[in-house]
Amino acid sequence: MIPFRKRKDGRVVGRFQEEEVHLLVSLAEEVVELARAAAAPDASAGIDPALIRLLPDAYPGDAAASAEFRRFTAPGLADRKEANARVVIESLDQRDGDLVEVSLDEAQATAWLRSITDIRLVLAARLGILEDGDEGDIHDQESALQRVVYDWLAGVQEFLVLALQSRR
Amino acid sequence: MSSSPIADAGTLEETGTDVLLELGSPWITIVWNDPVNLMSYVTYVFQSYFGFSRREAKRLMMLVHNEGRAVVATGTREEMERHVEAMHEYGLWATLTKADA
Repeated sequence: MIPFRKRKDGRVVGRFQEEEVHLLVSLAEEVVELARAAAAPDASAGIDPALIRLLPDAYPGDAAASAEFRRFTAPGLADRKEANARVVIESLDQRDGDLVEVSLDEAQATAWLRSITDIRLVLAARLGILEDGDEGDIHDQESALQRVVYDWLAGVQEFLVLALQSRR
Repeated sequence: MSSSPIADAGTLEETGTDVLLELGSPWITIVWNDPVNLMSYVTYVFQSYFGFSRREAKRLMMLVHNEGRAVVATGTREEMERHVEAMHEYGLWATLTKADA
């Protein structure tokens, strides 16, 4: 990755390697599926911790009100999470030599930030990262890789926030 | 970005929410600490969604970080539900509750 920077025209631009692009696309697609599952009318919240992270209880200690809130908000939230993931996927198709250049206006950058967050929430749930400082349950190659990706995405997001806030 | 939210319950008197208080206890939106979201991102969300100054957004973010939670808005239940839904879209862990609960 060549970190995001803001250009004179206000767009933020970053570059990614081929493997990073594949990774981002597959993770974004996974979030789309999870968001869909979370919004399904019969979604039994509580089964997959990743779903709870994507659509948390709005009323702590009130399961009925939380379920009602989820029933009203989950379909729209799932649609918008899917739309954000699509923005990520579609913005990753501009080749620039060996790298893929991503050029984002503010709305697209916001979609990226939200989608990266969704992906990291899912990875954190998979890794069992529940509190500040948790390393996560790293017990095999897959979980070790997930942890690396989780940290890498934190860097991508940090650069994107910094780029958006920089003056130009 | 609908209503201008009140930063915390302590500023109720000065911000003319007496009307709300007459109608019953207001509701509050709480953002909770979580291990996933970056401090820079949470600050960015508070700034861009609620329209807080950078300084205020940072103050609230640090409250979330250090105290585990912060009240980021006060108002009617419907308004707070909108804020909570918006926070969930950003991936932040937000809940609403009655102010006196």
